[in-house]
Amino acid sequence: MHIVANINDLRAYYITEAYGVRRTVKAVDGLSIAIRQNEIYGIAGESGCGKSTLLKVLLGMLTPPLTIVGGSVTYNFEGEPVDMASLSQAELRAMRWKELSYVPQGSMHVLNPVRRIRDTFRDFIGAHVRAPRREIDERVRAYLVELGLPDKVLGSFPHQLSGGMRQRVTIALATILSPRLIVADEPTTALDVVVQRGVIQLLQEIRERAGNTMVVVTHDMGVHANLTDRVAVLYAGQLMEEADTPTIFAQPRHPYTQHLIRSLPKIDDRSERVSIPGRPPALDNPPGGCRFHPRCPYAMEVCKTEVPLIEQVGPNHRVACWLINEERMGRIAARLANAEPRPLATDTQLTPQRPSPGGARSAGGPEGAIR
Amino acid sequence: MDLLKTYILPRLLQWLVVIVIGVTITFTIPRLLPGDPVEQTLRRVTANTAIDPRAMESFQNAIRDMYGLQGSPVEQYFRFWGRLFQGDLGPSLGAFPTPVTTIIANGLPWTIGLLGTSILISWTLGILLGTLAAYYPNKLWSQTLDKILIVIYPVPYFILSLLLVMAFAYYLPIFPLVGGATGRPGFTLAYIGSILRHAFLPALSLVLLGTSFRFLIAKALAGRVIASSYVSYAELAAVPTPRIIGRYVLRNSLLPQVTDLALSLGALFNGALITEVVFSYPGIGFQLYTAILQADFNLIMGVTIFSIIGIATAVLIADLIYPLLDPRVRYQ
Ligand SMILES: Nc1ncnc2c1ncn2[C@@H]1O[C@H](COP(=O)(O)OP(=O)(O)O)[C@@H](O)[C@H]1O
Ligand code: SF4
Ligand SMILES: [Mg+2]
Repeated sequence: MHIVANINDLRAYYITEAYGVRRTVKAVDGLSIAIRQNEIYGIAGESGCGKSTLLKVLLGMLTPPLTIVGGSVTYNFEGEPVDMASLSQAELRAMRWKELSYVPQGSMHVLNPVRRIRDTFRDFIGAHVRAPRREIDERVRAYLVELGLPDKVLGSFPHQLSGGMRQRVTIALATILSPRLIVADEPTTALDVVVQRGVIQLLQEIRERAGNTMVVVTHDMGVHANLTDRVAVLYAGQLMEEADTPTIFAQPRHPYTQHLIRSLPKIDDRSERVSIPGRPPALDNPPGGCRFHPRCPYAMEVCKTEVPLIEQVGPNHRVACWLINEERMGRIAARLANAEPRPLATDTQLTPQRPSPGGARSAGGPEGAIR
Repeated sequence: MDLLKTYILPRLLQWLVVIVIGVTITFTIPRLLPGDPVEQTLRRVTANTAIDPRAMESFQNAIRDMYGLQGSPVEQYFRFWGRLFQGDLGPSLGAFPTPVTTIIANGLPWTIGLLGTSILISWTLGILLGTLAAYYPNKLWSQTLDKILIVIYPVPYFILSLLLVMAFAYYLPIFPLVGGATGRPGFTLAYIGSILRHAFLPALSLVLLGTSFRFLIAKALAGRVIASSYVSYAELAAVPTPRIIGRYVLRNSLLPQVTDLALSLGALFNGALITEVVFSYPGIGFQLYTAILQADFNLIMGVTIFSIIGIATAVLIADLIYPLLDPRVRYQ
């Protein structure tokens, strides 16, 4: 399987200094993922978990205070893999739109309000393609028609378009040069459901047409279910779980993933949605151990001090949680016990702190969900 | 058209209302002041002569009539408007009986020439420099410029202009101290050169201050635009920098500046005062100053009405231009 972009143990921090006080926000902290050719790779997680930061690094948008502290990003668009760190700013600029493109968050504000859509297309394409203006115009028109967008938007100003149309125009603007890798940040947020569906279809269509690869960030698990092939769940700058999208929804193993899925509204389900209270931590001083432990209903003693390792729990399925580690340890222990019955030394340490009985959560306890 | 009904007509109406109110206030205030201007004039004119009381009375009536002080206040008010429509602002009291309009007409070209040019130069210069400095905040030139203009900006205008006069007209007499030009008026090289030489110092003072003011505003406005998503998106897409500065940053931060330019040009009618007094420049500011010293009510009122009409018209023009620049207003 061809890997288009490989992110290896990436650490990207916002390092600021004000009045002599140094602040380090560890927005992405030790993340390893591999984006495969022609997939739509989803990145999930609540707001403030480092999703946009990851995209910025992936795009090579490294303006202070964002700094890569460790790890690497490697592109592999054709032939030789290229380490992003070895690319100059000019080389990165030259790659943009042709090989690596970006659909930014908040399409409401990314188009110049005093420029007609046609002129914005000319600006963006003209920066990368030497062609007469008429040719560019024709190409834009043809592409919009191909995507099913009315070409009369070209004569409009951004404020004359609806939110959904603006988002679709922005997607067209980002994809018209058929880039290898398209990175989209919350492309459906702030759109109503019907328009959302249109945008999801548009992204899928573009992927099918041009055979490119997409990384789509959204906090909305519903969009992941409908759009992506694989999902990575980020929490506090770290990977919690990664699996094929159907697997993530059918067998979520990480408590945080379970929480994200459970808080999805269901049409047939009238029962009250349970959500874990609290918010993702501030990343200048994240909690030790498993970063999710202050909010995790299954947190154990070990979770507070020891970082859980990422475990492969199935094909394409990785999870970072002590419950999984424990399970595996339990299996190892069981095997050992069969050979020589003896209680495991770490047993007491690994005892989960169960939520109080009769609490908010009743169905789908840890056993049901994890085992 | 819709724009006409919802945008243009209300603004025309507003223009009219502002002028009517302004003129009404200008009409009212002198009439509320203590002291009788007719008495004052009479006293001044007849200070050293003895006049027979009968002649005195007819003289008084004549002046009263000329000032528009005959009849009830309401009658006076409507007659005031009637004269205004004929372009009659009465005679100057200081330069009796020269009509106020003649005096203003003599001063206006000087003021428009000096201030209009200075405002246009400092507006353009300030916006260009401010926008560039905002786009390149870490360059040495932009930081130097920033520091210099921040020092100039808070200097009170009269001190700055006095310093210039002292330095370049008195101690180093490079430039003339007084007046608008010397020699015979005409389209000769000598006369135009003289105009430029006389205008240089006052223009320099206005441009220095105007540019630093405009620079600071432009820098702040451009800074906001530069921080906007559409600029960072265009930058990310590697749209060429000159285009980003011109069509994205400048174009968007220009919108409020155009309104402000119109206002500055409108305010030119009274903004000239200090400049023209310090440099003894023969524009309407200098005339206004003289008029105030001489209690020349007619001339003061005349200049005031000119300013009101000037500023209201400038606002109207700015409002009418704005939709051309901002499609968000043009196509709602
Ligand atoms: N320019 C910045 N300077 C300092 N901290 C930042 C900056 N941008 C984002 N952060 C912090 O980095 C963390 C991750 O932010 P972000 O990547 O935007 O998360 P997400 O996209 O998942 O909402 C947050 O805690 C946020 O406050
Ligand atoms: S069980 Fe422990 S390791 Fe797993 S998510 Fe909860 S706190 Fe983290
Ligand atoms: Mg984000």
